[in-house]
Amino acid sequence: MPSSGAGSAVQQSMGRLLRPHVRSFAAVVILQVIGALAGLAPLLAVVELGRTLLESGPVDRDRVWTVVIVGAVGLLVRLVFTAASSAIGHILDGKVQLTLRRQLAAQLGRVPIGWFSRRRTGELAKVVGEDVSAVHPFIAHTPGELVSAFVVPLASLVYLFTVDWRLTLITLTPVVLAVALVPLMMTPARVREQEEFDGAMGRISSSVVEFVQGISVVKAFGGSKRAHRKFLTAADDFVDTFNRWVHGISRIAAGMQLVLSPPFVLLVVLIGGAALITGGDLAPADLLPFLLLGLGLTAPVAALGHGFDEMQAAGRAVGRITDVLAVEPLPEPSHPVAPQGYRVELRDVRFGYEEDREVLRGIDLVLEPGTVTAIVGPSGSGKSTLVQLLPRFFDPIHGSVVLGGVDLRELGSRELYRSVAFVFQDVRLLRASVADNIALAVPHADREDVVRAARLANIHDRILESPRGYDSVIGEDVGLSGGEAQRIALARALLADAPVLVLDEATAFADPQTEQAVRRALATLEGERTILVIAHRLETIADADTVVMLEEGRIVEQGRPAELLARGGRFAAFRQSHHSAVADDVEAHGRVLQGDEFR
Amino acid sequence: MIRTLLRVLGREYAQPLRRTVALMTMTAVAEGLSYALVVPVLRELFGNTPENAWPWLIGFGGAIAVYAALRYISDLSGFHIGTALLRGMYHRLGDHLARLPVGWYSTSRLGEVSVLASRGVLDAMSVIAHLLAPFVSACVTPLTIVGVMLVFDWQMGLAALVAVPIVAAIQISTGRSMAAEDAEREERDHEATGRVIEFLQAQPVLRAGGRTTERFRLLDDSLQEVERASRRSTLSALPGAVGLTLTVQAVFTALLVLGTYLALYGDLGVAETLTILVLAARCADPLLSLTDIGGKLRGARSVLARLDTVLSTEPLPEAAEPIRPLRHDLEFDSVVFRHDDRTVIDNASLSVPQGQRLAVVGPSGAGKSTLLQLLARFYDVDAGTVRVGGVDVRDIDPEVLMARIAIVFQNVYLFDGTIEENVRLGRPDATDAEVRAAATAARLDEVTERLPDGWAANVGEGGALLSGGERQRVSIARALLKNAPIVLLDEVTSALDPVNEAAVHEGIERLMAGRTVVTVAHRMRTVQRADRVVFLDGGRVVEEGSHEELLRRGGRYADFWNISMVPVSREPESTGQ
Repeated sequence: MPSSGAGSAVQQSMGRLLRPHVRSFAAVVILQVIGALAGLAPLLAVVELGRTLLESGPVDRDRVWTVVIVGAVGLLVRLVFTAASSAIGHILDGKVQLTLRRQLAAQLGRVPIGWFSRRRTGELAKVVGEDVSAVHPFIAHTPGELVSAFVVPLASLVYLFTVDWRLTLITLTPVVLAVALVPLMMTPARVREQEEFDGAMGRISSSVVEFVQGISVVKAFGGSKRAHRKFLTAADDFVDTFNRWVHGISRIAAGMQLVLSPPFVLLVVLIGGAALITGGDLAPADLLPFLLLGLGLTAPVAALGHGFDEMQAAGRAVGRITDVLAVEPLPEPSHPVAPQGYRVELRDVRFGYEEDREVLRGIDLVLEPGTVTAIVGPSGSGKSTLVQLLPRFFDPIHGSVVLGGVDLRELGSRELYRSVAFVFQDVRLLRASVADNIALAVPHADREDVVRAARLANIHDRILESPRGYDSVIGEDVGLSGGEAQRIALARALLADAPVLVLDEATAFADPQTEQAVRRALATLEGERTILVIAHRLETIADADTVVMLEEGRIVEQGRPAELLARGGRFAAFRQSHHSAVADDVEAHGRVLQGDEFR
Repeated sequence: MIRTLLRVLGREYAQPLRRTVALMTMTAVAEGLSYALVVPVLRELFGNTPENAWPWLIGFGGAIAVYAALRYISDLSGFHIGTALLRGMYHRLGDHLARLPVGWYSTSRLGEVSVLASRGVLDAMSVIAHLLAPFVSACVTPLTIVGVMLVFDWQMGLAALVAVPIVAAIQISTGRSMAAEDAEREERDHEATGRVIEFLQAQPVLRAGGRTTERFRLLDDSLQEVERASRRSTLSALPGAVGLTLTVQAVFTALLVLGTYLALYGDLGVAETLTILVLAARCADPLLSLTDIGGKLRGARSVLARLDTVLSTEPLPEAAEPIRPLRHDLEFDSVVFRHDDRTVIDNASLSVPQGQRLAVVGPSGAGKSTLLQLLARFYDVDAGTVRVGGVDVRDIDPEVLMARIAIVFQNVYLFDGTIEENVRLGRPDATDAEVRAAATAARLDEVTERLPDGWAANVGEGGALLSGGERQRVSIARALLKNAPIVLLDEVTSALDPVNEAAVHEGIERLMAGRTVVTVAHRMRTVQRADRVVFLDGGRVVEEGSHEELLRRGGRYADFWNISMVPVSREPESTGQ
């Protein structure tokens, strides 16, 4: 998280992001400068008018009207240029935000899948949404504000000095006073209060998230009266801190505001002017520019106070965006190699999510084409991690995963994903048509193929029942149950038709129909593909060509299911330990499996 | 806007808020009036006897002192009302959220409410604290100055007065037209956020489809929509902003021309003309800042409207004279329940005698979980009655009802804290020994042994650091500790692998012993051990009886189990059903 010290880094990254839009951005600034300076014309017109009218002798009427016309034209120029600048600025802002969001989306499509597991989806969505929006003031408002805060006062100041340097200095006293008050806002006590305020704000956010997310638990167990005490305490705590902070700062802030307020500045100018005029050191007409332009000199200080919070927030947001953009994606090979066949080998594979905790500790495994390999083992033994290495969600820390003789790291990602399809437990359907959902992995699939996959996945009839058939949008036209969603995911994998299929046998299917669909699909595919499945069901294990027993990240046994069972080793013991739990279903149905359950 | 604000805040804040607004108005009027004294000051300074300006100048100083005092008081009052509002708002929202039925909290609402209750409240209140004063001052000060002009010269004053209705009309119409644009924009933002989340969660699948390089159309379309909406709202804000600027500048130009004319040909003194022009220039800045302030206030208004919607959602009514049920039998009597225009439970009647177990079976979407939720009164029925111990659940004090029921959900939410804290939630006053006993009974000790910090291990937000099975064990331990006479189980083991399932099952058996149990099940083993089974489809009770009876009957229930037992043929087409 970048602190205030990271300001230059933020500027650098903002600079990089803006580079393609440099022309538009320059136009925004230039138009703004012209407009703002033209805005001084009417004020100067009043000054000139005063000078002409206050002159002794006959009034030069032509000059008077020329001055008036110049003033009016100045106003018009200001209107046109600032409006144009603001419109271009906002449109540019929209473009920059779109570019940023696309960059983020592209980046998020490249980072290792493993990177996601350590982050909350909501947080990342916030980076793409809110954080990018927070850039808005940088682009749409900052140029205008900076110009009116610095260019205009600077021009005024130069002009006023040429009129009378003494009164200019007097006019600057409110600014000096205000600046003198700034250190008082930065005392250690104030800074501490500010930090406490930030902390309390963080606490209130997290307590409200907990309160709302856990509401059903809280209601079911805690009783609703006690439920929100933590939230209210955090809220009170926050308000108290806020109060303390306001209390500490309110007098200084009020003093600053007063010093910079128009009436006060006017009073200072008038006192100074009166003193100089009565002393005969200033022509009365020369007081006018100070009355008209003097007020504008306070703008820089006022702007500093005002825009600071927003700019800081925008800086933090940009920091989070660059953090995401800086994540290293899984490296793509510069010269992709084509695999020869679809034999999968894991060679002494080691992997861990954290430095010192290895989940896989030296896996050697060969998956022959046309065979089914079932992985079994207790929870936490590394089964899910192992299968996720095949679609290259992660790269192993040591050793290699080889497909058709080629290390996955040397395979182009296109080739990899064409070769390896998977069905994992976590079913995600998109808010898109049923057909699009099934064809997600094969964007240009024929409708016929989609339907064939849907039939095979036992979901075709259900799709026809929905209002617009295969064009029904999931979540809008049709709501699918958990089991139906699983079957769509299955259809998806079947359509992908990849030679290697990785399956995390959905641990429990939402309904028997889904269970049947998966079994049927597996039976159909067998013999054609290399299948690796995390097996939970007895039938799957029994039907597998090879069973791999995993324990604590190591393969402890491996072989044909019947052999392993006969050997009476770890697998046999493991099977025995939860045989009773699973076999019940079968026995209950009165169909006791005989000794031939493992062929 | 003020009206929505007051409705959201509650009446007790109306008085102090009005007082603050009145103070701010007075401050702005004082500022405008003090400028009146600039006229005589300048008249003297531009005249032949500039010394005579001093008394007026002292008067001006005095007026500013009054203004400063008023401003300080109104600033402080603004801060105070701001913090009071903040506290009040949090309490009101917190109290209200706690009273809303659990059924109200759909998944999409959870996120929305979290953001609203944390950031939203603060944003809305801080806008009020920071923008109310500038807004009042930007409106009132120029108006007062126009009044001052009228006093000094009616012609110039009148010319300035022309601006008032035009500025007001522009402000109002911009506000209206922008409200629609803002809503549209928010809609697009919301849509895009949904797509981003979808995109992130679907990464594995999308990559499998080789869609890592090309842009993902659904997301990209919605991002483009965001950009288009932002462009549209910029363009539609332009007429308002330009119109306001144009009006203010046109009036200033008119004053410049008129003043010059009057000074040259009329009877207006040069000093008066110049002063009025100085004052007119003074009006322009606050008026032009109205565009900016207006935009920010609109942002606050949309947050307020959302707060208002939440706060005006009715919580479930509580009985005036609650009845305490004495027994623990359960009954559904011709219950109809609709949700989002869909009849979820359609005239269902069933009963569970005290101490018996009922299993609810049926295809997904049949309304099984809803039955449990109606028992715990997460929703109220549309027709019929749900009774616990013979008493309508609507006549039971919610606290009393919840105290009788232990629920184990399919998706377990754990609070960010230790395992022990999460278990203790079941009964906060339980002794350590009781907590340990419950945890052991749920075989949670196996989990704590494996974790580096054991009992003190942190589970992470929502329990993210534990696996599904481990979370489920925590939730069973919690229910065991609660020791409630009624137990509701919602497909507890459906997300578990066999090892976890075996462990969880032992805990469940202990939990069910001697209690009235309703369990939503899809594993035959669970069903088999129930006293009675109901088969639910489309919200109706289709079949009812014991497991064996229903199997023998050969109806829907028997079909339901048979399908998973049919051997699979290698030829899918020949798999007759």
